[in-house]
Amino acid sequence: MRKKSAFQRGLSAFWWLTLLFLYAPLVIVMLFSFNSSNSAARFTGFSLRWYERLLGNELIIDAIGHTLLLAVVSSVIAVILGTLIGYGMYRHRGRKLGWLIVLIYLPIVMPDIVFGISNMAFFVELNRLTGLLSPGLGTMIIAHVTFEIPFVALIVYSRFVGLDATLFDAAKDLYASPLQRAVHFIIPTLKPALLSAFFLSFTLSVDDFVISFFTAGPESATLPIYIWGAIRRGISPEINAIATLMIGAVALAAVLSLLFNRERRHL
Amino acid sequence: MNTRSSASIDATLRARSRRLMWRDTRHLLVAVMPGAAWILIFLVLPSLYLISVAFMTNGPYGQPSLPLSLESFRNLAGFGFLGWSPGNLYTLLRSLWQTALSLVLVVLVSYPIAYYITTCRKKWRPIMLLLVVVPSWTNQVIRAFGWMNLLAPGTPLSNAAEALGLIAPNLGLFPSNFAVTLGLVYNFLPFMVLPLYAAFEKLNHGLIEAARDLYASPVRAFFVAVLPQTLPGLLAGSVLVAIPAFGMYVIPELLGGGRAMMLGNLVATQFAAGSNWPLGAAGSMLMLLATFIGLFVLRRMGRKLGGGDEVVI
Amino acid sequence: MSQAPHGTPETMNSDHPRRGEAGQENASAPRQASSISIFGLKKYFDGGVVALDGLDLDIREGEFFTLLGPSGCGKTTLLRMLAGLDTPDDGQISIGGMDVTDTPPHLRSVNTVFQSYALFPHLSVRDNIAFGLKMRGVNSAERQRRVSEIAEFIKLGALIDRRVDQLSGGQRQRIALARALVCEPDVLLLDEPLSALDAGLREQLQIELQRTQKRLGMTFVFVTHDQEEAMVMSDRIAVLNDGRIQQIGTPQEVYERPANSFVARFMGHDNLFEISARDGQRLTTSLGELNSDDVNEGSLALIRPETIELSAPGTPSPHAPINLNRVEGRITERFYRGSNVEYRLDCGTTELMAEVSNSGQRLFKVGDLVKVEIYPEDIVILKDAP
Repeated sequence: MRKKSAFQRGLSAFWWLTLLFLYAPLVIVMLFSFNSSNSAARFTGFSLRWYERLLGNELIIDAIGHTLLLAVVSSVIAVILGTLIGYGMYRHRGRKLGWLIVLIYLPIVMPDIVFGISNMAFFVELNRLTGLLSPGLGTMIIAHVTFEIPFVALIVYSRFVGLDATLFDAAKDLYASPLQRAVHFIIPTLKPALLSAFFLSFTLSVDDFVISFFTAGPESATLPIYIWGAIRRGISPEINAIATLMIGAVALAAVLSLLFNRERRHL
Repeated sequence: MNTRSSASIDATLRARSRRLMWRDTRHLLVAVMPGAAWILIFLVLPSLYLISVAFMTNGPYGQPSLPLSLESFRNLAGFGFLGWSPGNLYTLLRSLWQTALSLVLVVLVSYPIAYYITTCRKKWRPIMLLLVVVPSWTNQVIRAFGWMNLLAPGTPLSNAAEALGLIAPNLGLFPSNFAVTLGLVYNFLPFMVLPLYAAFEKLNHGLIEAARDLYASPVRAFFVAVLPQTLPGLLAGSVLVAIPAFGMYVIPELLGGGRAMMLGNLVATQFAAGSNWPLGAAGSMLMLLATFIGLFVLRRMGRKLGGGDEVVI
Repeated sequence: MSQAPHGTPETMNSDHPRRGEAGQENASAPRQASSISIFGLKKYFDGGVVALDGLDLDIREGEFFTLLGPSGCGKTTLLRMLAGLDTPDDGQISIGGMDVTDTPPHLRSVNTVFQSYALFPHLSVRDNIAFGLKMRGVNSAERQRRVSEIAEFIKLGALIDRRVDQLSGGQRQRIALARALVCEPDVLLLDEPLSALDAGLREQLQIELQRTQKRLGMTFVFVTHDQEEAMVMSDRIAVLNDGRIQQIGTPQEVYERPANSFVARFMGHDNLFEISARDGQRLTTSLGELNSDDVNEGSLALIRPETIELSAPGTPSPHAPINLNRVEGRITERFYRGSNVEYRLDCGTTELMAEVSNSGQRLFKVGDLVKVEIYPEDIVILKDAP
């Protein structure tokens, strides 16, 4: 018995060490965003000067705008297309859909770098041949939609699978026409899943760097791209402040996604 | 149930199934096609284009051109017009080594963590899982940046390593191969903890206790009772870690410095202005190959685990 | 059909007019008081398995009609076709004199109470009940009125303001019933709506359902695999097996004069004895020589356990008819059920089940030798299952 509890205590200690490992880099970034000096090694006092500097930086304000626009537009498109796929997968779950599953897993499993580079090469070549789709927010939105669709489809699909299949029969039986079924049954039932999928897509989009980096144009830098550039130019405490804002935003989106997920479980 | 196979039944069934199949297929296509076409046009097609680039020749300005050749693969193996150099081979080997090393480390950390979570009270488990996952929701670049701050010369960690004689004075722990490994482990830990946790949750705890009873040593109990039951989760997690680790770009770029380049960096460099697209495409093909192996394994696992959703999210 | 209590499978599944001809027949002689008419309904599952094998059935206006059979007999398939959720491969369904064979479910005046109740999780109880009215375009004030009306009728009380996930199984069942009834359909279909409930509640709701049906005078088509439930509630029962109707009749007809051995066994009868030879009323069976009043053709003799009389050997039976059947048996098992007692008897060549009502007489013990008396009118002759 004593031996077991030593084992348990060891595990517990290991758990807290791992948490330290996981959060130390984030805490450091957040802590030094309030540093009064620009030292990356020593904390000399509390100040908000780096946040003030952010507000005065037009490039950063633009990057925030691009990031939000990219995330919102791509998430909306991905939620629409992904929901249709999830619905199709559910309605036809009796059929062999292996090709579709492979297609859906492809964007998830493919390394970001191959994803980004193949898109870049494709868009550059397409642009050279046809003059369409010059690199910029448009190409970035396209690429982001591609990697968001699978997550939306899987969330929607699993929501459908968790549903009593006779509900579809009940809706028909209670005089709902196909259109009425979509408006009064399918969409309201899916609402929590759709919101959850939207927030997940949003988070994925804000989170992404590699794919954005390779599909971006000269005028469409997002926050991660701006941060990347700033790091490459030399570490500036300003980055800590932007990074802290992004950590906060993603944490917020994550919490929202979770809340909708929880509500979903109540149903 | 009586089964009959008279001609009339067959005919009825055939007619019905033709009618239904067509209606069904049309319905499926209407629902699935917009999204599927999107992925086909904007991911499958570009990948095919990239593959075709791998078989072209590097033009004078770095753009792919005819004739078709295997020159890019020769380049990837290190044969340049100055003769053979080991640089690319080192990069490849380093990618494999870093992937394998970080995978082993991730497994070593994830096993106790996933197990520990299942031993905790039910209401705490989702929160604990969340705590593991949340850092991975922040941007990769920011996470790497955090480690740069922690490992740079003059930081407490670097000073401690210096005092222990692990590194030369004033170099710091970053940039280095060590920092890259650390960054990879940090990045991919949640990818392993989640499937392992799922496997542990389904695991028969009675079996562990019985094994502890019979074998006494926890090590034996682990190999006899635990490992075989968590193997599917372990395999799924390994795919989710190894594939993206092999193609990692950000971490070696930021934490590694020039001497810790991995395949992803080699490929990316080839697509910068004035470089060698076919060589980059050839490197991408290697990663695509790894992706397909991974997809295949995941599908296999998904079937064994009964639905692949949990493996992914 | 009720005049001929046991319609044999042959007559039930006889050749029927094709759909076109059936239509003409309808035009010339409309089926009065027939709520549902089914002609030659066929359905095959993939792989050639027959779900419904040319089914003919008439269900009368205002009747509580039960489709009874084991799982896989086709009863649920038939119900789904009545609802329009499945389409037949051949045959015709008309409801209230109108051919609805190809009418989609949302255009049929038919509502269903599903086995899982299928209450919409995203809607309140009130909105669940109002769903069908809303889809039909009934205005909000009228909806409110009818929902309150049905809530009072079904005695929902405070349930109406609950969330769906706060309801127990029995409460869900009643909401599902209210949701279907509020639409005032021509026919209400019930797909094993009580099977998920525990025994006590189940009996209570059986009575409630039957009362509701009588008060509304609505046609109910009820699907179940539980023969007792079917007998308690129904006006008429159709026993199904292998996609064919085995018998249609009142509960009493089906129970007391089963058409064949399948129906007999399904209704819970164990005492079936093969007839090896027959000379008028004199039967040679595995139980011995028996006298029967039954004139029907058949190869099996059925003796219901509750018609058998047991007495101690040597007890006189002064009013016994001349052709009373007498057998001897030894009690091998006793099942005490409170209101009655069941005995398993060893009668030498075969076993016999007897059920005696418990009116305070001395009970026999296992091992007792008893006198068994069977009246000739209680021996029913029936056919083997097709």
